[in-house]
Amino acid sequence: MEKEKLKQQLKQQIIQFLNLTNVKPEEIKDDEPLFGEGLGLDSIDSIEMIVLLSREYGITIQDPKEGRKILVDINTMADYIAKHKTK
Amino acid sequence: MYIHHYSCISPQQTFEHAHVETLHESADNKLTAKEPVYKGIPPGILRRMGKAVRMGIGAALPVITQQPAIDGIIIGTANGGMEDCIKFLNQIIDFEEGMLTPGNFVQSTPNAIAAQMGLLSKNKGYNITHVHRGLAFENALLDAMMMIKENPGNNYLLGAVDEISAYNYNIDLLDGCFKKECISNKDLYHSVSEGTIAGEGAAMFLVNDNAENATATVKAVQTIHTTDEMEVNRTMQQFLEQTLSGKQADILLTGENGDARLLKYYWGVESFFGEHTSIARFKHMCGEYATASSVALWLICNNHQWPEHMIKKQGEAAPVRNIIIYNNYRGVQHGFMHIAV
Repeated sequence: MEKEKLKQQLKQQIIQFLNLTNVKPEEIKDDEPLFGEGLGLDSIDSIEMIVLLSREYGITIQDPKEGRKILVDINTMADYIAKHKTK
Repeated sequence: MYIHHYSCISPQQTFEHAHVETLHESADNKLTAKEPVYKGIPPGILRRMGKAVRMGIGAALPVITQQPAIDGIIIGTANGGMEDCIKFLNQIIDFEEGMLTPGNFVQSTPNAIAAQMGLLSKNKGYNITHVHRGLAFENALLDAMMMIKENPGNNYLLGAVDEISAYNYNIDLLDGCFKKECISNKDLYHSVSEGTIAGEGAAMFLVNDNAENATATVKAVQTIHTTDEMEVNRTMQQFLEQTLSGKQADILLTGENGDARLLKYYWGVESFFGEHTSIARFKHMCGEYATASSVALWLICNNHQWPEHMIKKQGEAAPVRNIIIYNNYRGVQHGFMHIAV
């Protein structure tokens, strides 16, 4: 899948999984931090994101340190998904 | 036990600028709550909340704002966040007991409502949830009365919440709890068929033992489980003798709900009240749900004049001082309250 298309799909999935009803996909910037500042997600959201990666892309994150590097922003997530997705 | 502050989210205009004279209609045999724009709940927390938790917190916050120094939280709910519970259970099946998201599970337990209230109000005191189906609120009331007796001077947040979930509605419909034909809540008491209409809501009260400036007094609460209408009549007779001490009730507020099977209980109870007592009903406003009697208590706290659509029989009593609430849940669980205003 083309990277831009993947990013767009990922934004829609994040909104759906995290119930971000007031956020539109175009409002999430590719390089905006997902946690803390930016989208303002928290630790419970990180578990929801790990479930998202597993269900939608067949990616299992077992090392928390690895997770921290992947769940930085849309760019880092899309890069990882493009390389490791199994479905 | 005295009630000082109160708040309610219901299918009617009960939250902020309450106006219960105008009756909002049901749709598809459901009276769904008119949820306000929730203020004071952080957006990150609000987006994870299921409807029951949202309504409970939304109704509790105005009460907590008026009296921040609460010593405990006592909630009654039959089902809590049932919609989230079913989402979670469906996930177990859909994903073959694999990786599950925590949000639905955390929000779906009945005590999530009282727990969330404790977190938001930073209250580390007594925090308990009563889940006795149709008597969950009455048991919460009894608990609050006992806590106040044991701890004079303490303030408690007391309340009840229940939501309509698609799953519960369908199961209860198959069980004959709701009407098969579609009717309006405006015609609820004219219906002669079995079943009623579904409802939901949240009502919250600040209670303590301070009589000064209290809105209402909870004088007595009693509950029984029975299907025998004669036992219900005996209980009502004893309850009136004990709590009114020879005085007459000014209003009997009943949970009549348009279910033909339950009329025998309401007719039996009404027979104890003469010309002096007005008879009023409230389920056409909130629908039937396990903790609907909390709305009856809110109406008493809120109403200075009773809207015409609530009145079944106009009595001679004026002014109104003593009110008896009788509620019946599915012909099995019966709650009696004596409220003085």
